[in-house]
Order: sequence, then C-alpha cells, then structure tokens
Amino acid sequence: MSQHIVISAEGLGKCYRRGARSEKHDSIRDALAARAGALFRDRRSENAEHETFWALRDASFKIARGENIGIIGLNGAGKSTLLKILSRITTPTVGYARVTGRLGALLEVGTGFHAELTGRENTFLYGAILGMSRAEVARKFDAIVDFSELRDFIDTPVKRYSSGMYVRLAFAVAAHLDPEILLLDEVLAVGDVTFQRRCMAFARQLEQQGSTILFVSHNMFSIKTMCQRVIYLKLGRIAYDGPTDEALRLYEADSKLATATWFQAPKDPAIVVTDIDLYNEQGERKTMFEFGERMKVRIGYRALKPVEQPHFLCSIKRADQVLCCNFSSYCDNVDLPHVYGDGAIEVLTPPLKLVSDRYTVLIAIREKGFQQLVAGQIGVSFHLRHEIFEATEFGVFHEPAQWRVVQSVTGQMEPVRGLR
Amino acid sequence: MTNVPVSHCRMAHPTTPDSIEIRPNSGLFDLELDTVWRYRELLVVLTLRDIQVVYKQAALGIAWAIIQPVFAVAIFSVIFGHFAGMPSEGIPYPVFAFAAVLPWTYFAEAVRRSATGLVSDAELVRKVYFPRLIIPLACVIAPLLDFLIAFIVLFGVMIWFGVMPSWRLLAVPPLLAIAAMLALAVGLWLGPINVRFRDVKHTLPFMLQIWMFATPVVYPVTIIPTQWKWLFSLNPMVGVIEGFRWSVFGKGDLNSVSLGISLAAIGLFLIGGLIFFKRMERSFADLI
Repeated sequence: MSQHIVISAEGLGKCYRRGARSEKHDSIRDALAARAGALFRDRRSENAEHETFWALRDASFKIARGENIGIIGLNGAGKSTLLKILSRITTPTVGYARVTGRLGALLEVGTGFHAELTGRENTFLYGAILGMSRAEVARKFDAIVDFSELRDFIDTPVKRYSSGMYVRLAFAVAAHLDPEILLLDEVLAVGDVTFQRRCMAFARQLEQQGSTILFVSHNMFSIKTMCQRVIYLKLGRIAYDGPTDEALRLYEADSKLATATWFQAPKDPAIVVTDIDLYNEQGERKTMFEFGERMKVRIGYRALKPVEQPHFLCSIKRADQVLCCNFSSYCDNVDLPHVYGDGAIEVLTPPLKLVSDRYTVLIAIREKGFQQLVAGQIGVSFHLRHEIFEATEFGVFHEPAQWRVVQSVTGQMEPVRGLR
Repeated sequence: MTNVPVSHCRMAHPTTPDSIEIRPNSGLFDLELDTVWRYRELLVVLTLRDIQVVYKQAALGIAWAIIQPVFAVAIFSVIFGHFAGMPSEGIPYPVFAFAAVLPWTYFAEAVRRSATGLVSDAELVRKVYFPRLIIPLACVIAPLLDFLIAFIVLFGVMIWFGVMPSWRLLAVPPLLAIAAMLALAVGLWLGPINVRFRDVKHTLPFMLQIWMFATPVVYPVTIIPTQWKWLFSLNPMVGVIEGFRWSVFGKGDLNSVSLGISLAAIGLFLIGGLIFFKRMERSFADLI
C-alpha cells in the first residue's frame, strides 16, 4: 500500500464487568458485603462469562492517511468504546493499537466548558483541553471568535448563552484544532441546521487537507456522503469492514424484523410477519427517501390458521421513539375477508411529509374488531431527508403553508411572491 | 461563514509522526511523567480555572480567602485562648493560632480538592484524554493563591501584636512545598478511591477535623507528654506546623531530624500514591 497507515489496531478488546456502570455510586459497605457473600458461595458456579461482557472484541483494522471511515452499528455495538480506546480515554483489555499523527477526539462538543467563565476564558480552557497550547489558541483566537459569530458575547459568562451559542463556540474552538486524525462521535447530531451544515463543511475541508476522519453516526445520509469505507460493528465485533454501500445494505438487513417489546407472542401464533420491505413508487427497493416521496411497504406474512378479517396497522416511529403516524387498513376501510397461508400486503403511503431522521416501520396485526393482537413486528428502518428540517428542533412533520405580508395598518395587503 | 484555517506547513512535512501506542498494560513504574510535562499548559489552564471559579458570583470575592481563616482564628482565640487558657509560648494567642491556621487551611483545602477533583471533573474524564494526574496537581496548586493572600494578613496581624518578622521567613516556601507534597500524596490515594466509592467525600470533613486536632494548630507542641512525642511525630503535618511557627516567631527550634523523617515518609507516600494513581487511572473513565 502506497499510503501511510495512521491507525493500526490488532485484536483490540474491551471487557467490562457486568453492572460495572450501574455500580458506579456503590459504597464500601456494599463492596464488603459482596466480598463476604462471595466467600460462602461456590466460586465455580459463578461463570466468569456471566459476570463480564465484551463491549468490543477482536477489532483489527488498518486505516490509511486521508481515509474517511464511518463506524456504524446499533446501540451498544461498541462504537463509542472503540473511539474511547483510540483516543486513550480508556485502555483496552486486550490488543494493541498504534496511532500516528496529531489526534483530535470530539466525543462531545463542549466538554469541560465551565458555566461561570466567560466565552473568552472558556475558549482558552477548551482549547487546552483539546490539546492546543495557549499560544496556539491566542494566535487563532480572532479566527475562532469570527467562526463562532459570538464577538458581542465573548466576555459574557457562558451560562447566559443559549444552547445553540454554547455549541457554536465549542465547535469553533474544536474546528481550529487542526488535527491530522479526527475522531467524531455523533457530535454532528446536535445543533441546528446551519450548525450541521457548518460541521459538514468543516469535515470536508479536513478531508481536502488529507486528514483522516473516523466518524460514528446513526445518520446514514452523513455516512453515505462522507465515507468511502465503513466499519460495521455488531455486538462488539467487526461484522463488516469495506465499501459504504455494502456495509449499509448489511446494516439495514440486520436491523430488520424484531418482535416488538410490547407484543406478547402467543405460543402458536395464527399469523407471523415474515418480511417487511420498502420500495419507492416505481417499485425500487430503498431505505433512503426524500421528503415528499411516497413509500410502498410490503408486508409478507404466513397465516398458519385462517384469520378472519384481520386489521393491518403500519406505523412509523422516529428514532427518538415518537410515533409519527399510522396507516390502518381499518380506518381506510380496506376489507381483507380471510387470510390463510403465505401472502403479502402492500401499503402505498401518501407523500411522506416528515422531518429528516431515521424512522422504523412497525407492523401490528389484529383480529377482527380489534379483539386481539396477533402479531407485532418492529420492521425495517429507513431514512427520510428534508432539505432544511431536522428532527427534534422542528417537530414531526412539515407542510407548506400560505404566507402573505400585511403591509401596513391602513389595511393594504399584498401577496408575497416567491413564498407559498 | 469563515473558513477554517489550514496550516500548510504541516502538510509540507507530512512525516513527523509522533506515534502513540495503545496497549492494555504499562509497566508498574512507568509513570509517564513526560506526558504530564507535555500537558503542562492544561495544568496551567485548569489551575487558573479553579482559581477563577471559586469566588465567581460571590459578592465578597477573593476576600473569602481572608475571612475564613480569620473567623477560625477568632473562634479558637475565644474558646482555646480565652476560656481554656491554652498556653501559647509567650506569643499573643491569636497570632500564635493564625500562624498555624494558615498552612493548615491550605493543606486541608488542597486535600479536599485533590481527593474529590476527579469526580468533580467527571465529564472531562469521561470524554477527553489527558494525563489524569493533571487534575490533583491543579487542585493542590490553586489554593496556594488563597494562602498567599491570607499570608499578607498574617503580616499585618504580626505587626499589630508587635511580633517582628525575620530572615527565618525564608523557610516558609519549602515548608509550604512539603505541605503541598503531602496533600498531593493524600489526594493521589483518596482520589482514585473516591472514583469507585463516593464514601470518601463524606469521610473527608471529619477525617480532616481529627487530623487538625492531632496537629498542633490550636495548641503548642509542648503540651504533649514526652512519652507520647514519638507517636505525635508520626504525623508529618506536625513538622510543617512547628516549622511554620519557628519561621514566623523564631520560638522553639526547627527539629531537623523529625522534619527529615517526615520528608522521607511523605516522599515514599507520594511515590506510592503516584504508582497507585497510575494503576487506577486506566479504569477512571469506565467507573466514574
């Protein structure tokens, strides 16, 4: 390989004692009690495997200078653990890694900011925390302040800042860290749209400089636009390491079909959902949709017994667990008289008018007249992209409204052109 | 939108690799003090932060550095000096007590902060890498400012009571350094324990109180019966406080033997603390 290897990891693993995190506020008394208890228990009965779990295991990879790598996986797959090991916040239990070059790690924007200190004081504090020298921060100070657009507030204590201002200043400092290798953990997921754009611009600029970026995200759009290579972690192990498209395909395939937690599956279910697939209107399989696109949900089922007049409910749940909308065969007056054997039902949604985020399709099947829930499935995830509106800050859905300006109190009104 | 500046000089010399090795274990005596040195700027900044933050939004501000010891001395003077008639080696009791309360206040504050500093900065420990030793170090350095301010007051009090300062005051900085080393050593042992067991935080106040009464702060060392002197000297703060009184008043003598023993003990305690802290450091982010 002609390029320089900047990160090489060899069998990295991190083992946690089960409950170590929840035990964090334990007292000496509890620890003594546990010790005393252990004396009277058979040691061998306590299987070590039950007491510990591997947050990360056998992680080996090499990363060359200038690569942009996405790290994906479900929650608890070991993404953050990997970044924490590489940034030396925590040490691995086993394995070895070598990192060559100035490393910047942004596991959170603004860690170490002190609320009582002013923006100026915090700039120096945060700069030092990120590993910049005082002279370096002093030299870049004006650029940082310009970038944050907070010149008027730079001598105000940050506790008077809005959360947006806070993040802006923190990011401005971080953006001037000028690292050769950057580790980013979901930090781009905070802040408003302008901020997000700025983050992306910053990442691109680093990319052009030849910096190496490791980027943890749940946002498959960002991953797709930024990374050529993806490491997909599954239960602490690297399930896939290679081109982005293939990694995303595997990830989507894996995050399919799990029984919903609220659904108590009966012993001999009358009907099971065997497949949920998403298509666009033209019938192409997709997991990323644009705002306003229609989505076709195909629900494959196997009815082991005849089910009379079932009601199909197809719900869309946002990543933050907000149930956004339901499509119900009952409400839409669809008559499904009798279902038996293998089959499929297709739902063509109206144009999706939701804000940008990751969504999950849920399927519930009820017997006639809402008597009994016979199936409950968490299905595929998909991403929806809205040009401007991100989730949480902009509610759930967006519909164009009609606007006009009321010119003056004399009552002269004119419609505004260009806006709808 | 302003662009992020690009440092071209770095790109011109792409091969200046300072490689970091990441592995499970470091050697028992590999304290990585060179890394601490490389992060000295962070030490300065965190120390400044600790100084700036303490009296922010307090109407009396830095005056608290004076008010606290003055009140302590006032109470001691009334109770021990006046009611109990505690001997004070011919020096007015308030001055006698003040000269000891100052280094003690510094020491107690340094211990309290360095033992709890890791937990107060839990966010940093969880999310950012730096040598964790920086935190107790900053905690021991920051209260020195309070000491300096109160020391000026001590000067005033001395002159008021007609006690003249002398060249012996030159012994104050080394004595203070010994107190700082001891505080750091205690912090290095208690800090990691506090990460795991928050009991330390609750134990500290009365531990420090007991320690204060086991140190000749409110009474002279002469009231200790001779046969118990050896036990008393096991407390390294005895040498520091006695040395302080000697340097301020010229009374008594600087017991170089007991101070030497104290120093050796503190040295061992400190080195042990460094090794212990370094061993525990690796799990801070997981446990805190």
